[in-house]
Amino acid sequence: MLKYGNHGRLRLLRANTSVRHESTALHFYQNRQLELYASKEAKRLTLRQLVYFGRHMNEERLLTSANYVRTELPVRIAHRLRDLQALPYVVVTQEGVDKVYELYWSAFEKFRRYPPVTTLAENEKFCDFLRTLLDEHAPVIPNLSLGLSLSSPYLPPDKLDSFMRRMLISRISRRVLAEHHIALSETFSGRGKTTEGEPHVGIIFTGLNVKQSIEHCATLLNESPLWATESLGSGGYSKRANVLIDGHLDTNFAYIREHLEYIVFELLKNSMRTTYNKHAGESILPPIQVTIASGQHDVGIRISDQGGGLHDARNQVVDPSDLFSFSHVRNATRLEDERLGALRSASSSEHGLKATVDEQIGSWEKTLSKESWKIAEQNFQSRIGIGLPMSNIYATYFGGKLELVSLDGWGTDVHVRLPKLGTNLEGIEV
Amino acid sequence: MTVMLRYRFFVHTLSRRNYHRRAPPASSAEMTELLARYASTPPRPLNLAQLLSYGHPITPDSVLSSGQYALSELPRRLATRVRSLEALPFIVGTNPYVTKTLNTFKESFQWLATHPPLTTLEDNARFVDQLAALVQRHANDIPTMAKGFQECSRYMSPTQISDFLDGTIRNRISVRLIAEQHIAVSQALNSPNDPSAYVGIVDMKCSPKAMIKMCGSFVTELCEATLGASPAIVINGHTEAQFGYVPVHLEYILTEVLKNSFRASVEQKMKLRKSGKTDPVPPVVITISPPTQVMANGPNGHSTYLSMRIRDQGGGVLYSNMDRIFSYAFTTAGRGSEGNSDDGGGPYAAQHVGGSASIGGEDSEGDANLFGEITGKGLQTGLGTIAGLGYGLPMSRLYAKYFGGSLDFFSLEGWGSDVYIKLRCLDEAGDSKI
Repeated sequence: MLKYGNHGRLRLLRANTSVRHESTALHFYQNRQLELYASKEAKRLTLRQLVYFGRHMNEERLLTSANYVRTELPVRIAHRLRDLQALPYVVVTQEGVDKVYELYWSAFEKFRRYPPVTTLAENEKFCDFLRTLLDEHAPVIPNLSLGLSLSSPYLPPDKLDSFMRRMLISRISRRVLAEHHIALSETFSGRGKTTEGEPHVGIIFTGLNVKQSIEHCATLLNESPLWATESLGSGGYSKRANVLIDGHLDTNFAYIREHLEYIVFELLKNSMRTTYNKHAGESILPPIQVTIASGQHDVGIRISDQGGGLHDARNQVVDPSDLFSFSHVRNATRLEDERLGALRSASSSEHGLKATVDEQIGSWEKTLSKESWKIAEQNFQSRIGIGLPMSNIYATYFGGKLELVSLDGWGTDVHVRLPKLGTNLEGIEV
Repeated sequence: MTVMLRYRFFVHTLSRRNYHRRAPPASSAEMTELLARYASTPPRPLNLAQLLSYGHPITPDSVLSSGQYALSELPRRLATRVRSLEALPFIVGTNPYVTKTLNTFKESFQWLATHPPLTTLEDNARFVDQLAALVQRHANDIPTMAKGFQECSRYMSPTQISDFLDGTIRNRISVRLIAEQHIAVSQALNSPNDPSAYVGIVDMKCSPKAMIKMCGSFVTELCEATLGASPAIVINGHTEAQFGYVPVHLEYILTEVLKNSFRASVEQKMKLRKSGKTDPVPPVVITISPPTQVMANGPNGHSTYLSMRIRDQGGGVLYSNMDRIFSYAFTTAGRGSEGNSDDGGGPYAAQHVGGSASIGGEDSEGDANLFGEITGKGLQTGLGTIAGLGYGLPMSRLYAKYFGGSLDFFSLEGWGSDVYIKLRCLDEAGDSKI
C-alpha cells in the first residue's frame, strides 16, 4: 500500500494498514458493540435547553453535563459509523474516507471505555480528553470532502449529499456539546476566556448583536491579505468593498457566535472576492449591502453584492443550491484538479480544518508575518470550496435556512434565516 | 332529469341570444367530431422563431402565412381548453359560469376549426377583425371561471383547482400570443413606415426602465387613491438595458408585483407610524441586470436572460405563509385587515388576493376567498383584461416562466421582500421551443 511519497502520510498509512489488517475480520465481529450504541436514539437538545442548563451551574450540574456528553457522543458517533458502514465498499476504502473511518472508530472506542465522571478533578481530565479528540478530528472535514468528491462517480448525487449532510451536521452537534461543556467547565472554575463582558453561557452568547458580528467579520476580511495580488505595490492594500449595514440595527438574540460569524464571514468573503474580480479595473468598488431583519421567530440577514452573479465561467451549476453539493454531477468544480489539490493539502496539514473564523485568521496572520504574498494568493485562489456547504450546515443546524439567488450579470443575494427563540431541536438524525 | 334539461336549454338559449350575430352553434355531432379530431393530435410546442419569422420582414405573403399558422395552431389549443373544461367534475360543469365559459370556447373553436384557408389579403382583413372580436369576447374568461370556482370550492381541492388554472392560464397565454401576434403583423403591413422595433407584439428593444416608469405611474395613482400615500420608485443597475420581449407580459408582471410592494410599503409605514416613527414611505428599489448568457444544461442550451429585482421595505411575509403566496387557494387575510395585520399573513397576506382586501359582500367567512376578491373586482369594474386584477403572484410567475424565465420571492420577515424576475431575451431566442 505504498501509494504516496509523502512521509507523514506513509507513516499514517502504515499505521492504518497494520490496524486494518489485524482487525479486518475482528472488526467485522466486533461490530456488535457498535450496534448496541447505534440502536440508541440521540437525545437532541434545543438552544434554550443548553442555555438554561448552563445558567445556574454548580458542581452537580457540571458533572451531569460531563456524563451527558460522555454518553451521548458515542451514540452519535455510532450512528455515523453505521452510516459509513452502509456506504459502498469502494467509497469507504477511498482516500480520505478511510482515514475518517479510522478516526471515528478510534473516538468511539475511547468514549465507550471512558469511566464515569464523578469529581471536578475527573471533569478536568475529561475536558482535556475532549480537547484532544477535537484536535485529532480536525482533519475530518477536508478528508471527508476529498473522499466524497472522489467517490462521486460511485454514488448518486442525492445519496452523496444526504450522507455528507448527516456527517457534517452530526459533527457540528458533537462539537457544540463538547465545546459547550468545556466552556461551562472553564467558567465554573474561573478560567473562562474574557469576552469583554458580553453575556454568554458556555459557547452561546445570549445577547449576540448581529450588527457587531457583521462589522467584526468585515473588518477581519478587509485587513486580510486576500487582496494581495498585483494591487500590492507600495505596502498597503488598495481597494476595499465597503460593507454597509441597514435594517433592524439593534437586533440581539441568543446564538452560538462562532456559527453566526462563520456564516457571515464566508458569505462576505465570497461577496468581496466576486466584487473585486468583477470590478478589478475600477477605482471604487461597489459596496456590499447587508440588511438585518428581526422577525417573529427568526433573525434574517440578507447580503447583496454586485459581484456579477452566480453563473459565470467557473460555476456551471443549474440551481444555486447545487453549490452546497459535493457531487460532481451537480457541481462540476468538485473534481477539478485545483480543488482536489487544495483538499489534499488541507487533509494532510497538521491543523486540519475546523471551519471556524479563528482558524482562517490564524493562518492569515502566519502569512502576513512571512510576507510571502505568493502563499496568500495561492490560499485565496485555490479555494477548497467548503465555505458554502458548511455555512448551509451551520445555518440549518437549529432549523434555519440559507438561500442564494443570482441576478445574473449584476450580483448575488444571499438570504440567511436563523431561529431566534432557541426552541428548535438540533437538526441531527435520531 | 327534466329540470336539468330545462336548465341547460335555458342557458343554451341565453348564449344564443347574446351571440346572435354569429353562426348558430354546431350540432352536437359535428362538434364532437371536430373536437375529437383536434384534441387528439399531439400538442406541438410553440416555435418562437417561426412565430417571429412572419413579422420579419412583413410582406403580404408572410401575413398570409402568419394567418395560416394561426388557423393551424389555434383550433388545437382551443380544443384542449374545451376538453379540460369538460373534464371537470360534472357538478362543477353545471355551474352557470363554467358552462358559459365552456360554450364560448366551443363556439370560438368551431369558428376557427371550420374557417376556410386565407388566400387573399381581404380574407385576412375579415379574419383579423373577427379574431380581434374573439379575443375581446374571451377577455373575461378568468374572472368568470373564478366566480364559478368560488361557488364550486367544496367540490374541488385546492390542488385540483391550481392544476387546472395553471394549465388554463398557460394555454391562454399561448392562444393570445398567437392571435395577437397575427393581428399585429397584419396591422403592421398597413403601416410600413413604422420605425419601431416591433415584430408583431414583440418589441425587440423593450426597455425595462420605460416599462417600470409606465407601470409605476399607474400603480402610484392607484395606491394614492386607495391608501393616500405611495412610495417612490428608484431604478438602478443597468438602467439603459434593452431586450426583446412581449411588453404586455412584462407590463402585467410589473404591475402586479409593484401593487404588492406599494401596498405593503404603505401599510407597513402606517403600522410603524402607530409606534411613533414618522419617516416617509421607503422607496421601492428596482435593480436591472443586463442581458446575460447562461450556459446551463437546460433544454434550450445557451440562453440569454435579463433579470430584475424589485425590493421593498413592506414588512415582509411571515415565513409560515411563504408556501401559500403562489397558490390560488384561500388565504388567511381577513377583510379590511389594516388593523389586524399581525395575525396570519402580515402586510402581504392580502396581496394574495391581489387588491385591496376591503371589497366586501361576497363572503362573510373569516377566511378571505381569493375568488371572491377577483370576481368582485373583475365584474365590478368591467375591466376587460386580467391585468391589474387578482392572482397577482401565481399568474406573474406563469407569465415569467412562459418563455423559460422565472419569478422568485424572498422575504426578510419584519423588514421587506425581494422579487426576482428573470426573463428570456426573445431577440436571442433562436430556435427555442416553448
